[in-house]
Amino acid sequence: MKIKFAYLFIAVSAFVLMGCGGADSLDQPDKEEVTGGEVVVDFDAQTMRNVLVSKEAIPADYNKPVYGYKAYKIPYETTDEEGNRIEVSGLMVVPTGVPEAMKQIGFSLVSDSHGTIFANAEAPTVIAETTNSPDGAPVILTALSGFVTLQADYIGFGDSLGHYHPYLLKSSSAATTVDFINAARAFAANNGIPLNGQLFVTGYSEGGHVAMAALQTLENEGEPVAFAAPMAGPYMLDRMGQGVLASNALPVPSFIADVAYAFAVRYGVNVDTLVKEPYASALPGLFDGSKARPEIDAQLTHVTTDLFTADAINRLTSLDNTYWFTQTLQLNSTAYWGPQTPTRLVQCMGDDVIPFAMSTGTASVMRDNFGAADIGVIPVEVAITGDVNTSIRLGHADCATPAYGVVSKIFADVRKATIGY
Amino acid sequence: MMMKKIVLLSSAAISVLTAAAYKLPEQSVNSMALSAAYVAHTTQADTAYFNPANMAFMGEKQYLDGAVTLINLPSIEYYNIAKTKEENIIIPSLHYVSAPMGDFRWGVSMVVPGGLSKRWDEQPGKLFAQEFTLENVELNPVFSYKINDQFAIGGGLRVVYSSGVVKSDGRDGTPYPIARDMKGDTFEFGYNLALTYRPTEDINVGVTYRSNIDLEEEGKANLYLGSIGTQYDASVTVPLPAALNIAVSKTWDKTFTLEFGYERTFWSTYKQLDFQYSQPVTNPILKQAFDNPIPKHWKDTNTYKIGATMVMDKITVMMGFAIDETPIPDETLSFELPDSDAKVFSMGFRYQQTENLSWGAAFLYDAKEARSIAKGVSDNPVINANGASFSGGGAYLTTLGLSYEF
Repeated sequence: MKIKFAYLFIAVSAFVLMGCGGADSLDQPDKEEVTGGEVVVDFDAQTMRNVLVSKEAIPADYNKPVYGYKAYKIPYETTDEEGNRIEVSGLMVVPTGVPEAMKQIGFSLVSDSHGTIFANAEAPTVIAETTNSPDGAPVILTALSGFVTLQADYIGFGDSLGHYHPYLLKSSSAATTVDFINAARAFAANNGIPLNGQLFVTGYSEGGHVAMAALQTLENEGEPVAFAAPMAGPYMLDRMGQGVLASNALPVPSFIADVAYAFAVRYGVNVDTLVKEPYASALPGLFDGSKARPEIDAQLTHVTTDLFTADAINRLTSLDNTYWFTQTLQLNSTAYWGPQTPTRLVQCMGDDVIPFAMSTGTASVMRDNFGAADIGVIPVEVAITGDVNTSIRLGHADCATPAYGVVSKIFADVRKATIGY
Repeated sequence: MMMKKIVLLSSAAISVLTAAAYKLPEQSVNSMALSAAYVAHTTQADTAYFNPANMAFMGEKQYLDGAVTLINLPSIEYYNIAKTKEENIIIPSLHYVSAPMGDFRWGVSMVVPGGLSKRWDEQPGKLFAQEFTLENVELNPVFSYKINDQFAIGGGLRVVYSSGVVKSDGRDGTPYPIARDMKGDTFEFGYNLALTYRPTEDINVGVTYRSNIDLEEEGKANLYLGSIGTQYDASVTVPLPAALNIAVSKTWDKTFTLEFGYERTFWSTYKQLDFQYSQPVTNPILKQAFDNPIPKHWKDTNTYKIGATMVMDKITVMMGFAIDETPIPDETLSFELPDSDAKVFSMGFRYQQTENLSWGAAFLYDAKEARSIAKGVSDNPVINANGASFSGGGAYLTTLGLSYEF
C-alpha cells in the first residue's frame, strides 16, 4: 500500500510533466489571397487616421474622411527600350472603409509616377514590402482623397532589378506606366475592386517627365484621360542638359551622370565619350540599384569639367544638332507635342533642381507650337497661399508634398464635377 | 491530456503574489497560512519542498499533502484610463515524503513555483501586454541525510516545464499599428539545497537555496504591421530566479512556534528581455518595437517574514505576515507587470480529523502599494511621456488542503 502511493504520485507527476510538452501551435497569420498580386500594406481607416494625426499630417480634429490604405504589389510585363518584353512590378493602393455609395460608383485611378530614385530599396513595392506601411504620394491621393493610386517601380527596380534603369528615356517610361495601368485594371477586375473608368495622370520630377510621356502614349492609343498634372518634370531634356553642363558646378552630379549612363547604354555609345575616367568605369556599379543618392554623389565630382568630357560639354551647351547626345535628348523630351487632355504643369517657383521656367516654357511650346487644347502652369506657392504675390519659395524636395496636395485637390474637383463624389 | 489542461489552466494567470514579480513561494495550507515563513519549522509532506533537510527529522511514516488554491487577482488600474482583467485561478500542489531509509529519506513535490499573467483589453496597456502569461509547473524530487540529531542536509533536482504567451496589439486606438502574438514552451532543470540545524529540541535553523533557472521559451511568433503578418520561429528567455532563505524558529511547550524568515531573491539576473527570431526582422518599425532588447535591470530583493503556529489539541492555528520588495525599478516598469512593494497578511488552521488524516484551510491577502512614476524616467515610451499611476492589484488566495500519514 505504501509503495503504491509513492508510485502513484510519481506516475501522476510524470504524466503531467510529459503532457506539458509542446506549446499550443500558433496559426500562421491570416493572408488575404488575391489573384495576380499580393497584399503588402493593409491599414484600416481608423489606423490611418491615428497614424496621420500622430505624425501631424492632419490635425487631431480633422473633420474630413480618412480612408484605409490597402496596397498590392502587382507583377506585370512591359517593353524595355530595346523592345524586349520584361517582367516588372508596380504598387496599387486602394482606399478601404469607404462609403457604400462610393464603392457602387467605383474608384477613379491616378497614375502617379515617382521621382528619381537610385536604390532599389526606394522603389514603391520594395518600400511597401519592407515596411508594410503607407508611404509617399498614395497617402495623400488614396487615404485622404479616395483615389486608387498606381506607382510603377520603373524598369531597373523591383522585379526588374538588374536591368539598367532607362532614366528619362521616353519610350520605356511610357510603356512601363501604361502597361501598369492596364495590368492594374485587370487586377481590379479579377479581385472585385470597383473602378469607374476615370483616369488621372501625374508624377513628380522624373515622374513628371514619365507622366507626360505616358499621357502622350495614352492619347495616341485613344485612352481618355480626365486630367493630367505632371509636376516639376524636365520635359525639355535638351534644354535641361544644356543648362546643367553650362554651369561650373553640379550640386547633384548623380542626376546628370545617370542620364549620361542610361543614354549611352541605350544608344550603344561608350559612356567614356561623355563622362571622364575614373568616373565612367564606376557608373555601372553606382547605378545598379544598390546605392542611394548620397553614396553615389560622394563618389562623383561636383566639378562639371572634371566629370564630363570637353567634347560633351561643348557640343551639348551649343545644342549641336549633329551630336548624338543632343539628338537623343531632344528625341526623349516630352515637351514637343500638344496634349488634348486638360493639363496643368504644377511646380514650385523656388525649384532649385529643375527651373520653374521648364514648366512655363513647356506650356508655351505645347500651346503655341503644337496646339495643346487646355494647358497651363500652376505655381504651387500661389496655389497653397492663394496669393499671386506670395514671397514663399519652396525648393524641389520641399515642394513635393504640397504639390501633391494641389494636384489631389484638382483631381478631386474634377471627379466631383464628373463622377459625382 | 486532461491533466495537462487542468494544470495549465490552473497556473494560467498567477501574478504578483506574495513574492514580488512572478515568483510564488506558497505551495500548501501551512505555507499559505504562514506567509511562507515556513522553512525552519516544517511539519507536513510539504517539507519536501520548503526544506528537504527537515525530512530527516520527521516521523517514521510516509506523508502525503495535497492542496488547491483559489487565487483572485483584482484589476490593476492605469490612471483611470485602462485596467487589467480580474483573474480567478485554481492552482494545485502535491507533496510526498517517503519513510526513512536509514539516515536517508526522499520526497517529491509538484508545484507551481511562479507565473504571471497580465491581460489588458484597453490601450495603452494593450499595446504592450494584451496578454503576457508565463506558466510554470515544477517536479522537485529531493532527498535528505541526517548527519546527527542536530544536523541534516538535503537537496534535489528541479524539473520545470514552462510555457509562455506574449501578445501585444496597438492596432486599435494607437498610432502604432503593430502587433505580436507569440507562444513558446520549454523544459528546464535546476537544483535546490537545504540545511537544518537544531541546537536544541525547540529551536530550528533552516537555510535553503533554490537555483536560478533560465526559462528559454521556444516557439512561434507572428509579427504584424497593420493586417500584414509574418511568422517566425522565436525564443525569449526569462529567469526563474535563485532564492536564498534563512529562517529561525522557536517552539514553546511544544505548542506555540514563532518563525522568522529572510528571503533574498536574486532578480538581478534579469537584465533584459530579448526576443530572438529565426530570421532577421527587416521591417524597421517591427524591429524597433519587437526585436530590440528591452532593458529590465531588475534588483535583488529582500523579503522579511514572520509566522506563528499554535497547536491546540486537534486544531492548529497559524498566522503570518511578510514585507516584500518589488525588483522592478521605475525605469523599466511596464504594463506586462506593473509590480510594487507589498505587505502580506495570512491566517489558517488545520484540523486533525483522524490519527492519519488532517485537513485545513488558509487565506492570504497580498496588499500591493499604489505606484506612481514621474514623466521622463521610463524606458517605456507611453509611461515616459505620460508618467504612470498604477493602483489596485494585489491578490486574495484561499487554500484548502488534505494531509495523510501512513
